[in-house]
Amino acid sequence: MRIILCIKGVPKPETVKVDPETHTLKRESAELILNPFDRSAIEMAARLKERYGAEVIVISMGPPNVVPLLKEAYGVCADRMILLSDRVFAGSDTLATSRVLAKAIKKLSPFELILMGLKSADGETAQVPPETAALLGIPSLINVKDIFFEKGKIVAVRETEYTLEEIEVSPPLIASIYPKLDYLRPPSFKRLLEVRNKEPEILTSKDLGLKEEELGLSGSPTRVSGVFEKKFVERGEIWEGDPEELAKRLIILLKEKGFLKA
Amino acid sequence: MGNFILAYGEYHNGKLHPASLEILTPLREIADKLKKKLVLFLLIEDAERLKEVKALERTLCDEIWYLESQEFKDFKDDLFGKVIAELVKETNPYGVFFPATPQGMALAPRVAGELGVGLCAHVNAFEVEGETLYMLRPSYGENIIAKLYSTTLPVMATVSLHAFPIREGNKRPEIKEITLKESVKFESKLKIRKVKPIKREPSRLTVAKVVLAGGLGLKRRENFEKLKILAEILEAEVGVTRPLYYAGWAEEDRMIGVSGVTVRPKLYIGFGISGAIQHTIGMENSEFIIAINTDKEAPLVKMAHLSLIVDAEKFLDALLRQLKEGGN
Repeated sequence: MRIILCIKGVPKPETVKVDPETHTLKRESAELILNPFDRSAIEMAARLKERYGAEVIVISMGPPNVVPLLKEAYGVCADRMILLSDRVFAGSDTLATSRVLAKAIKKLSPFELILMGLKSADGETAQVPPETAALLGIPSLINVKDIFFEKGKIVAVRETEYTLEEIEVSPPLIASIYPKLDYLRPPSFKRLLEVRNKEPEILTSKDLGLKEEELGLSGSPTRVSGVFEKKFVERGEIWEGDPEELAKRLIILLKEKGFLKA
Repeated sequence: MGNFILAYGEYHNGKLHPASLEILTPLREIADKLKKKLVLFLLIEDAERLKEVKALERTLCDEIWYLESQEFKDFKDDLFGKVIAELVKETNPYGVFFPATPQGMALAPRVAGELGVGLCAHVNAFEVEGETLYMLRPSYGENIIAKLYSTTLPVMATVSLHAFPIREGNKRPEIKEITLKESVKFESKLKIRKVKPIKREPSRLTVAKVVLAGGLGLKRRENFEKLKILAEILEAEVGVTRPLYYAGWAEEDRMIGVSGVTVRPKLYIGFGISGAIQHTIGMENSEFIIAINTDKEAPLVKMAHLSLIVDAEKFLDALLRQLKEGGN
């Protein structure tokens, strides 16, 4: 049984810079951390590996500074690491990203399950898992809380706005995982030591058989025409002073405005 | 090509999701400016039940289209995606828009993937310039709004929840059944074998008159618990910024901002919130905004009607003590 685990490096919030020309995030210069939503996907992969002895391949599309994150996933449960890296990938929107992931996933056939985080903390679109599945022509489910295998079928539990559903599907499936599993295991020290001398396999656009016009900015149908700073209303009143005095003044104001019983 | 706009009507068990009505508000304006027809479409297992959906009688759309099949009883991501993609291929709309509900977020990217077109997520404002439709959404990290457009047709986006008010139309839209020309098999690989109802208390945050929101400036979790005590006194609801949600101080339905909830209370007080755009986008329409922050230059301080330049933790302690002493 093969599970492909997709993770993403997101810029540490304080280090984000926007490219003044393309208006996309500059990932090469930012300090990358593991997308917090991916932790649940890694945990789900670890559980399935434990339960069914599944092989876990972790893949990530990004600049070379995502390698430590691949190693982090290896430290938890991955057996193989693949970095999808090429300068022509830079600036990809969700469609262009999904094209890269779909090709890479296809190259790893046969597989039963692809796991991703619900969304990324930077783009926050949550679009890549279903979009990749549509490109591969396979089913997708988002916000999946549990997965098990039963007689060769995948059974996934997902919560919708209306109900909790148990869904049966023949593999393969792309599932994005509910971000708040009850437990997230840390990487094992032994495996972190082991991975120190390992390097991920690298796949480029050429390896994936993708053309430059399908990738990066030119392959992205959504374009940023500009960015502008949020304008604020005129500066309001400012109160300064010690906490006790300010608390007193605020209580008076809340009473005046009727938010607090006089 | 493209003389109409499609809006996805999320239908479940005799009801239309209110977010599907919300998205008609901006789309009506866009349709008028670009001289297009506005069509609300839904996938339904039994068209007889459309009569139950009273909201359909007074919507802003020009027409309501439905596709009927037993297979549409439960939402199946792959099937719905395939059917909508085929509908788009056969009818060539100018745009297809979805509410950013969990279902819309599962479905829109499947449709965009099938069609190989662009899709913008969590749009909360639109602008029409000439013939071009621009979609606006907050950008990550800095206090900026990104203005996006799509180079492909149909233009596609998911629209943020509560970003637009529901408006009623003054004419009854024509209801039409649509059948696909191409014989698409209404089959899903997903077999829903068990369904359990969930009882979830809807968060009262979105309708609260007073909202007290906490940010990283509260420093310690116990201070957030103190904020809840203050909320009881003020009959308020508490909300959080994204970092506090990530830290596990509150459930997701308490997170205000992009991909969280939008609030419009009479009074909003932000404790130790600097005001990243991801948060302010969800509270900027509050009637009266008070910021409690040590940093005079914080964005929330700049947008607030009243700012108290003080340490949120110390201020909260002082406020609670005085309220207790005052017998409130």
